[in-house]
Amino acid sequence: MREIIVGVSGINAVDNPGPGIGVARALLDDKDLNVKIVGLAYDGMEPGIYLDWLIDRSYIMPYPSGGYDAFIKRLEYIKASFGLDFIIPNLDSELPLYAKYSEKIEKLGIGVFVPTLKQFHLRAKNRLAEVAEKIGIKIPQTEVVTSHDELVEAVEKIGLPVMVKGALYKAYRAHTTQQAIEYYNKIVAEWGYPIVVQQVVSGEEMNVVGVGDGEGNSLGMLGIRKLWITSLGKIWTGVSIRNQKMLNAASSFIHTYNWKGAFELECISNNGDVYLIEINPRFPAWSYFAAGVGLNLPSNMLRKAFGLPISQNMDYKVGKLYVRYTYEVITDLQPFQEIMTKGEW
Amino acid sequence: MNRSQQLAISENGFIFDPTTGESFTTNQTGLAILNRLKKNESSMEIALKMREEFEVSLEELERDVADFIDHLRTYGLM
Amino acid sequence: MRMKYETPVIQKCQTGLMNKFGSCPHYSRKIRTGIDDVSIDNLVEKYGSPLFVFSEKTLRERFREIHRAFSTRYPNVTFAWSYKTNYLPAICAVFHQEGAIAEVVSEMEYDKARKLGVPGDKIIFNGPYKSLHALEKAVSEGAMVHIDHLDEIYDLEKVADKLGRKIKVALRLNMDTGIRPQWSRFGFNVDSGQAMMAARRIHHGGKLIINGLHCHIGTFILEPDAYGVQVEKMLKLAYQIEDQFKFGIEYIDIGGGFPSKSKLKGTYLSPDLSVPAIDDYAEKITSAFYKNLRPGDFPRLILESGRVMVDEAGYLITTIHSSKRMPDGRKAYVVDAGVNILFTSFWYKFKLEIDREVQGVNEPSIVYGPLCMNIDVIDEGCLLPPLNRGTRLIVSPVGAYNVTQWLQFISYRPNVVLTGENGKVDVIREAEDLLDIERRERLPEHLLLSSKSS
Ligand SMILES: Cc1ncc(COP(=O)(O)O)c(C=O)c1O
Repeated sequence: MREIIVGVSGINAVDNPGPGIGVARALLDDKDLNVKIVGLAYDGMEPGIYLDWLIDRSYIMPYPSGGYDAFIKRLEYIKASFGLDFIIPNLDSELPLYAKYSEKIEKLGIGVFVPTLKQFHLRAKNRLAEVAEKIGIKIPQTEVVTSHDELVEAVEKIGLPVMVKGALYKAYRAHTTQQAIEYYNKIVAEWGYPIVVQQVVSGEEMNVVGVGDGEGNSLGMLGIRKLWITSLGKIWTGVSIRNQKMLNAASSFIHTYNWKGAFELECISNNGDVYLIEINPRFPAWSYFAAGVGLNLPSNMLRKAFGLPISQNMDYKVGKLYVRYTYEVITDLQPFQEIMTKGEW
Repeated sequence: MNRSQQLAISENGFIFDPTTGESFTTNQTGLAILNRLKKNESSMEIALKMREEFEVSLEELERDVADFIDHLRTYGLM
Repeated sequence: MRMKYETPVIQKCQTGLMNKFGSCPHYSRKIRTGIDDVSIDNLVEKYGSPLFVFSEKTLRERFREIHRAFSTRYPNVTFAWSYKTNYLPAICAVFHQEGAIAEVVSEMEYDKARKLGVPGDKIIFNGPYKSLHALEKAVSEGAMVHIDHLDEIYDLEKVADKLGRKIKVALRLNMDTGIRPQWSRFGFNVDSGQAMMAARRIHHGGKLIINGLHCHIGTFILEPDAYGVQVEKMLKLAYQIEDQFKFGIEYIDIGGGFPSKSKLKGTYLSPDLSVPAIDDYAEKITSAFYKNLRPGDFPRLILESGRVMVDEAGYLITTIHSSKRMPDGRKAYVVDAGVNILFTSFWYKFKLEIDREVQGVNEPSIVYGPLCMNIDVIDEGCLLPPLNRGTRLIVSPVGAYNVTQWLQFISYRPNVVLTGENGKVDVIREAEDLLDIERRERLPEHLLLSSKSS
């Protein structure tokens, strides 16, 4: 089997972990593939840089906000100096760039398997209602507002507490109208309009990770129920589940939009009803769980992209436990020194 | 106090302060200045000597050395 | 052999800021040595610094590109140059030469257009404040008046009486197209039925004839779909008005609002990724026309695009006057152009280009203007290599709204030049001097300093 060098970003396995390390592990788990991992980091302290048993070489990347030219030059450099056959971008901020320029990146001989820009825009929270209706899932009562008056009206209509969210980023829980106004101002100042006011639905938090092949078919999906979350709201312990309402919505999401690439639907289940809270257009940080129960989603994606055979078994065991733990690596200052002065290690 | 004495300075421009654990990066000219500061040279001496090593006017060098030392100060290194 | 010199720089490794690419020489460092075929050096030598430079080539190219996007999709398209975006006569004249009519929002703008030689019937008169005097002048010269409110209907009926004839008018509309904030303070609301009421009132008066509809949904609209909604609502209303009151709607004016490729503060993505192509807008707009028009009907489509036409054609050259080290370690530069002539700095994070190759790594920097005011900041956080005094920064895009909204404050406003074909440069607005500032000022006799001493 020829070697495939895969670039993986989001190797910031910290208290708010990026998905990269899990994706890298999953790829390496597929023993029929001959994969080498390149870490694409944005900061010299991303732990992945120092995990040499997973990541063969790491490069500091220019921020996507710096535009296409610098970014593409860096990819060309990595391709020329180490080799790079495929990239799995795992951060929200990178996706628009990969989505828009996927053809140009592929022309460099670097494959990607990402949603189109149009698909990417579906994740905006002010479009959640539209998506939810199409894929047959409920959403919490939601109002899109752009003024204080509308905000107060929405809060009265929905009833406290409410979630106050930006269209793309930030979400706060407000217990009073005053708090809602404060969060509204805060989000508007940073991210602009519109603001989404949402009913707080209590219940069990459950998510589904999946990969669409871009032609309406699923390359696998797995449901998880969060058992324990950290103070940052990140999953620490979970259990695999099969909630048919949630999985049907995920299938329908892939099918309706011909979704290409990884995604996560964040849901809440309440009295048998499942509500869609958020769509993430990439692998979630816990996606290694899928590989761990025999459903290797990153590998399926890579195989699909390279035209390699994909396991037809899309089934997984429910009741498997997902446990995170912390771990330490002791190393010299040298890798840090190299990454800080040369931008690679 | 001149903390530059205790800094571990590597040739590629990486600087490590073993007493505080802070690290810094600098370029070749910055390195040249730091190494001279370590030897307790004054900023005027540094500018004069570096003038002989680099293609630059004394005026520009004087300004840059002063600014560099200013910057070291904001980091508490001087 | 002496070694090549590079300004010494030191940076602390701080979590969250350990991106070597921030400091790498070629990342986010842009060099610009000329505008069109004219070198920055020559421009500054001859016309001073700061200096606004407009590229005639870019102005014409932008206009043609945008015009083409619409005229290849719809047979009856007119562009109206939005004077408030930039009413320097030379800039307006370029667009008029390209075939644009004028869009004005005040009597002063109206007078400017007339003085340039634009006939009254090629001027659209918008805005919530048109004095009776201005209305009379505009109507008698055949201008296309867009009514903003009920009081203006009364005023126009008075004018009709005075002139002894019926007057053609258009209604300005506002509506919900999903864009926030909604510009509902101008014109008549469509969704509430207010617009239909206004049409009924005009019909009832019998002195005015509605022949057009206008709506400007906002500025820097990043969502092409909004225009689709707008067109649909406007055409539905147009047919309603035609059917009920037997007016003939000859044109649909959809206003301006297309974004330029500038970066709004607080947005993460580069405009390259966040700003849709002009063809996307044209496609949505014209397909909404075809979907909602009755067979054989092709009313004139008017666009009042401002910033998208002119923003990227304008540059501001500014010179570094001094530098200092801030207490937090950042490098600060003082340049000779301030926010008083760069009004859009309150919303935009500009592109900063350097006029020469510079050695050395980038440092976190701040660019301050020359005003003795704390708010005078051109860029509050950018990465720049160490820059010497006299280095020039070229700030862009600055073509829209700056040379109309600028303030004369504690200094003279600079030259504005237009670069033409073959390196030709024309001054299109001379730098001010004390005479300009004081021409309208009067000092009462008893306050003369010399009279006090005598
Ligand atoms: C009525 C009208 N038309 C056109 C414009 C030009 O808008 P833009 O520069 O966003 O294209 C404006 C700007 O405010 C306007 O008010």
